[in-house]
Amino acid sequence: MTLRRNITNRGDVPALASWREQLLDRRRFLLGLAGGSLSLLLPLAEGADANALDEAGRWRLIADVQERLFPSEPEAPGARELNALAYLQWVVGDRNIDAQERAFILQGCDWLESLSREQHGREFIALDAERQEAMLEQVARSEAGENWLSTLLLYLLEALLTDPVYGGNPDAVGWRWLQHRPGFPRPNERNRYRAG
Amino acid sequence: MAGDFDICVIGSGAGAGPVIWRLTRAGYSVVVLEKGPWFKREDFSKDELACCRRSHYTPNLRDEQHVLEELAASGGWQATPAGESKRDFWNGNMVGGSSNLMSGYFHRLKPHDFRLLSEFGPIEGANLTDWPISYDDLEPYYSLVERVVGVSGSVTPHPRQEPRSNPDFPYPPTAEHPVSAWIDEACRELCHHPLRVARAILSQREGGRDACSYSGYCGSYGCSTNAKGSARAALIEPALATGRCDLRPDSKVYRLESDAQGRVVQAHYYDAQGEARKVSARIFVVACQAIESSRLLLGSPGPAHPDGLGNHSGQLGRNLIFSAGGAGSGYFTYAKLTPQQQDQVRTLGPFVNRALQDWYVIDDPRFGPHPAKGGTIDFLFAHPNPIPLANGVRWRDGELLWGKPLKRKLERWFTEDRKLLFEVFCDWLPNDDCFVTLDPQVRDKWGSPVARVRLGSHPHDQRVGRYLAERGQEVLRAMGLDWIGASVSGAPPPNLVAGGCRFGTDPQQSVLDPDCRVWGADNLYVSDASFMPTGGSVPYTWTIYANAFRVADIIRQQLI
Repeated sequence: MTLRRNITNRGDVPALASWREQLLDRRRFLLGLAGGSLSLLLPLAEGADANALDEAGRWRLIADVQERLFPSEPEAPGARELNALAYLQWVVGDRNIDAQERAFILQGCDWLESLSREQHGREFIALDAERQEAMLEQVARSEAGENWLSTLLLYLLEALLTDPVYGGNPDAVGWRWLQHRPGFPRPNERNRYRAG
Repeated sequence: MAGDFDICVIGSGAGAGPVIWRLTRAGYSVVVLEKGPWFKREDFSKDELACCRRSHYTPNLRDEQHVLEELAASGGWQATPAGESKRDFWNGNMVGGSSNLMSGYFHRLKPHDFRLLSEFGPIEGANLTDWPISYDDLEPYYSLVERVVGVSGSVTPHPRQEPRSNPDFPYPPTAEHPVSAWIDEACRELCHHPLRVARAILSQREGGRDACSYSGYCGSYGCSTNAKGSARAALIEPALATGRCDLRPDSKVYRLESDAQGRVVQAHYYDAQGEARKVSARIFVVACQAIESSRLLLGSPGPAHPDGLGNHSGQLGRNLIFSAGGAGSGYFTYAKLTPQQQDQVRTLGPFVNRALQDWYVIDDPRFGPHPAKGGTIDFLFAHPNPIPLANGVRWRDGELLWGKPLKRKLERWFTEDRKLLFEVFCDWLPNDDCFVTLDPQVRDKWGSPVARVRLGSHPHDQRVGRYLAERGQEVLRAMGLDWIGASVSGAPPPNLVAGGCRFGTDPQQSVLDPDCRVWGADNLYVSDASFMPTGGSVPYTWTIYANAFRVADIIRQQLI
């Protein structure tokens, strides 16, 4: 996916900066994957395999991380109001998305869970919000950890701003919050993008 | 020679549409082999995910990609498959090609663009040459495009205005944004000559095509009214109505088979089911976009073309060009404007349609002792897609931002200002480090070697780009905008690509003859942007259309 088409009609310069940034992201990201090892992502934790979460456990953990990344507020929608979890589940189920990226999203859960048990002796989802936040700050200090969070944020922002036909941004809650004006005609069930 | 069809056209974009339109109207049978799917008007919507964030209009890089060679920091060329870097060099792959997704900023080349070497002299390290045809040869076809494809505008007299055979455009200008008048005012203060940019977008209904609906979402999106002059809406749909056009989407041509005389006899392709098929014709026309056209010819050796069709002199794939330049921007801060001005700036839909060509030739001692080729500055609002804007918000000084600080910053970035851009278009000097070859390892899903593209640029391009970006920033400053900046680099915009099969009078120095016929294959033409030996300093589409109409006339002469 290129950002170039999004930024300018010429498709070039700010676009350029962003694809370079994206490429850099991607390289960091692959670096994290290359080892596939806990030590690269979260240098302090070990024994991830022993703490691997099941599918449902991973999604519970991601739901908590999303809440920290994009908290609900009375005047502004958070991850919950955006249906960000269901949106991410749709993304991860899309075989058109890079397989390494999908694997990385899920593996990151095991790594974070492992770190939580090591540092606090408890599951990540059992920690209070402050401790969860502190852990995310710690994770963000490693390159691959930051990459994992930035990947989750990327799809959170998609859930905030894509057409409601994809499940996020229900009733255009994200668009209304940011006073964004969509274009018409909007996509419908027949002509929308389909996951592979 | 008999064949299944009179003409077989490979590709269906701006380089193909005029050939299809002209020859079906002239009574010939045309088969069109298009790799991508057939999206129609009702298949398009303003869907950011489909247009710009998933491979909906382009191949998945897992199936088909490029290998891109860039100069590494350590020196030397480093090749990276796009599947790894995610650097996507595809443009629209569908019936009508990327003309479906263009913004339709239409500029003609100017007479001296056809004579760059003679007018401005050689530049060390640049493969400059004059075109084998002149502006006068192409002028009637530029005019034809205005009428047939549909170009809306009004001629603004300015010092760099190129000659025209008809006094004005056939369609009145598209609706203009209130800010256009502010740009005019600032430019005039600076003694520049702002001009109204013509658009390949219908301002009035014509035939089966509706007028523009001014959705505010144009470039990168397919058109839901058919106002945009895509090859599909303007040329292929009318060609289908003749009953003489056999349009085959999802048909990927992988080889052109030629005989001992060098003539092409059959096109081999895979259909939607992956079945190998073939078609014969009297004339073959290749228009797959610059990189892919070179790739197809390189991948089609024959008894008389041992190194690929038209590659006797080793020129095939060489002198690939892009559009050089860059962009700059400034912000309208709503809090500094009157309520009425705020409403004007917030207007979504009408087009800015302003450009400066005062420096199409730079005659300025600050730049150099002699006049030099310059370029075009085009003004526009930042693309309205919200996700890239939000993605930019998530970083602060290189650190990831989240939680409430992220949300507050989003609120500010989305509501406090609006970004006005200018884009700089200048010549990408053809050079020995910008070319297409076949990758020795990476193959597409059908088993054919993918294109490997070296992306070297000439340092002169950035000098010109920076000079123009300075001029653009002066205008933004005169407008009183905030946060003014610009960026010029040598990185290529993948959607503005040409060359690779340059035309010329010397078979040793070119791939195509002046008629865009492949040297040594007298029934094979290349009608997309590949023919261009130099690219001018404007977007290519109008020139691609015009030249393809010219090639269509030449083919018609050959068939008679």
